Amino acid sequence: MKLLRLLSAFLASVFLLAPAALRAADVPAPKLDGFTYVKTVGAISEYTLDSNGLTMLVLPEHSAPVVTFMVTYRVGSRNEVTGTTGATHLLEHLMFKGSTNFNDKQGNSVKQFLETVGGNYNATTYLDRTNYYAQIGNEHLAGYMAIEADRMRNLWLREDDRRPEMTVVRNEFEIGENDPTQALDKEIFAAAFQAHPYHHSTIGWRSDIEKVPIEKLRAFYDTFYWPDNATVSIIGDFEPAAAAALVKKYYGTYPRAPKPIPQVYTEEPEQSGPRRVIVQRAGELGVVGLSYKSPAGTHPDLPALNVLGNILSAGKTSRFYRSLTDKNLTTSVDASAGYFHDPSLFQIYANLAPGATHDQVEKIIIAEVDRLKKDGVTAAEVATAVGKLVAAEAYKRDGAFAVAGALNEDIAAGDWTLYYSIGDATKKVTAADVQRVANKYLDINQSVTGWFIPIVAAPEPTAPAAK
Amino acid sequence: MKRVSYFLLTFCGLAIGAHAQVAKNAVRSSINGIDLVVLKTGVQEVVTIRGSLAAGDSLSPDTNPAIADLAGGMLDKGTTTHDKFAISQMIGDVGANISFHTSESTLDINGRCLRKDLPLVLSLIAEQLRSPAFSPEEFAKLKKQIAGMMQRQMEDTDFRSNDAFVRSVYPIGHPNHSPAVPEFLAGVQKATLDEVKAFHKKYYGPVTLRLVLVGDIDPAIAQSEITKGFAGWTGGEVPPHPAKAGGVDAPRDQTVFMADKTNVSVTWGQATGLRYGDPDALALRIGTAVLGYGFTGRLMANVRDKEGLTYGIYSTVANDTFVDGDWRIGANFAPQLLEKGIESTKRQLTSWYKDGVTDAELAQRKTERAGSYKVGLSTTGGMAGTILTTLNRDLDLTFIDEYPARVNALTKEQVNGAIKKHLDPEKMVLVKAGTVTGAK
Repeated sequence: MKLLRLLSAFLASVFLLAPAALRAADVPAPKLDGFTYVKTVGAISEYTLDSNGLTMLVLPEHSAPVVTFMVTYRVGSRNEVTGTTGATHLLEHLMFKGSTNFNDKQGNSVKQFLETVGGNYNATTYLDRTNYYAQIGNEHLAGYMAIEADRMRNLWLREDDRRPEMTVVRNEFEIGENDPTQALDKEIFAAAFQAHPYHHSTIGWRSDIEKVPIEKLRAFYDTFYWPDNATVSIIGDFEPAAAAALVKKYYGTYPRAPKPIPQVYTEEPEQSGPRRVIVQRAGELGVVGLSYKSPAGTHPDLPALNVLGNILSAGKTSRFYRSLTDKNLTTSVDASAGYFHDPSLFQIYANLAPGATHDQVEKIIIAEVDRLKKDGVTAAEVATAVGKLVAAEAYKRDGAFAVAGALNEDIAAGDWTLYYSIGDATKKVTAADVQRVANKYLDINQSVTGWFIPIVAAPEPTAPAAK
Repeated sequence: MKRVSYFLLTFCGLAIGAHAQVAKNAVRSSINGIDLVVLKTGVQEVVTIRGSLAAGDSLSPDTNPAIADLAGGMLDKGTTTHDKFAISQMIGDVGANISFHTSESTLDINGRCLRKDLPLVLSLIAEQLRSPAFSPEEFAKLKKQIAGMMQRQMEDTDFRSNDAFVRSVYPIGHPNHSPAVPEFLAGVQKATLDEVKAFHKKYYGPVTLRLVLVGDIDPAIAQSEITKGFAGWTGGEVPPHPAKAGGVDAPRDQTVFMADKTNVSVTWGQATGLRYGDPDALALRIGTAVLGYGFTGRLMANVRDKEGLTYGIYSTVANDTFVDGDWRIGANFAPQLLEKGIESTKRQLTSWYKDGVTDAELAQRKTERAGSYKVGLSTTGGMAGTILTTLNRDLDLTFIDEYPARVNALTKEQVNGAIKKHLDPEKMVLVKAGTVTGAK
């Protein structure tokens, strides 16, 4: 299944509200049997399942007869330690190997069911969360929810499944290593975070992928896969009362976690100077990455950092396009703030053009950052960036699947209402805010600079051929 | 430029659009020769634009394979009215997107905007298509940008594997045959601005332009804006229908060696001689889905799930929208598992080819396609893409509505007959790209 570390994505919330969203907050949310109503923001209402603390978000939208159902577990690679790196992701794979009541042998496994009804489905693991989701015809909601709920607590988790799946995941790791920028990104995160578990990537270290025992995966599952550590989101063409009854039926059979869900308490110590990493391997063109420590996704400075990233790198009017790409020094540059539960990185990645040197490009990036810190940005630049971000959020509303994807990241950051509130905050960002956050966070002493240096291969041998 | 992530095709299937009755709800018109389709959907605010123009790579002159790409690349480098920064500013101020991409057969047009900004975006698309500035300075920059992007693609095992594959299964002169990267780069180097202008003059015009607009949109407003933006524009040329791919005397087993790669990309297949709308084409696609679509397809179920040899493997029919296409398996293997992976894949391919699909497998694919028809209704992008592709396949929009019934009507004999008739594993080309043990 998919592993994400999006280098450039601003995985934030949707904030141009659909008409349904505009009126929803004024309409009383229905009372749902067995649930406690928590709140409604925009078009989304939150409930808690009384019997076990499961969070449920509902967003009815009836333009097409489809529904997206998603369960988000608040566990990601930040919950791993030495020896179990990649365990969250490997476990995600093993979640497709069958559970007590739904499995290949019975012909009703999750993939058999969803591929028979034509569902669009997947699962992803990231730093702060793991999610499982499907978009299906609304008549299949009960069928899918039953399977999804069964594997919350009745997963098989067999060694006979781990062995072949380990090599599958290892190949996923190998595919990622093929990409110079991904390889560089892992090194940058590892250098930036020495204590905090963002140190390692979600895919984990190769040796851990290969050797983590099934018992540790079982322990991981038994620690984190509980209803009070999960949120189910239902988006699309459904009636809340009927859907809630299904949630109660399938998830209500489980108790709360027997022990408190362990919380990550490690904080990254203050960095005391610039750090550098270099990745050298065969390749064609270099990459320069500069990453600065940035605040958590819920921090009020995040919207201004998003605007800053946009001013630096979005489109031909951006500062890096003018100073680098338009001068044929880079093929592309991207700058964006991480959107995570804990403090992460504001990252700038520049893909070098033929003939450009790492040093040359790095100096121009730093000069542009320094100029921005000293002189600030114009109101026009801010207005353009805000316009782009506002529209981008509307585009993320194009389909229930897209809504679920954005909501998932908000849940992971720690507050699903960011789905709406980041938008409001972005609209209020001023030029002074942008200059302030640039000076606050783009501090070279809080940075990691990484270079991917390609080793140009010898001329390729003629391919051996056999007709 | 050619860069297709075939891997994505595994899980996409046919992206059917947002209304059960596409043909009935879509408004199709011809405006100054432009084939325009507008479909209003339930989405709020958003409008997606997809378009195509017969000005793709395959129409580059024989003397230089890079001319079409360079012409397409000049569209966003400024017009006779606005420089590139002014256009970017106008687009950016409203958060819209406009992009152009040159593929094998067409120049592809993509746009997205909020409803209120549609007039601006359509007028800019018209301006960029009609009157690029062709600045010598921008032309020099574009040449370097293309060279850089191509060089970066050379690091990608998927690109290298697919690139070698299409040059092996399609003869020179076939629209799906790509020039080798060094040949393409030499073309970029030697191209002149006059050649690019001549190409633009010949191929850019309303005669082959198709535009599809989907989302929160009033068809009358769209028609009015298109009329305004493209008034007085003439030209364009319908490309000749090329001969079908004949046999290619390429090695059946090829290795593209790349140092320091932890994964090997594999492409394995052949030209089919079939275009999407041909008899047998749908049967072959459904049969191909039984072999390699999703996690229940035979390839993923066995090579990945049972044997753990790959993260991803699929089979698909590709490149058959405008001309006859190809059939292929795509896969990833660790270098040390490559031979084992290929052997396992071969077992599945042989068994599928020899024994065909079963009744149960066909029945499952039928319900899966019917379900995905409904599920795929969700995005303006998927809908617009499906409509445009249907037009480019020279099919009527009713084909979209009839698709589930057409799939449902297929028999096992038709599916297995199409597999046998149009494929031959003995004639397939196998390409491996990466750090292949023993190849260097």
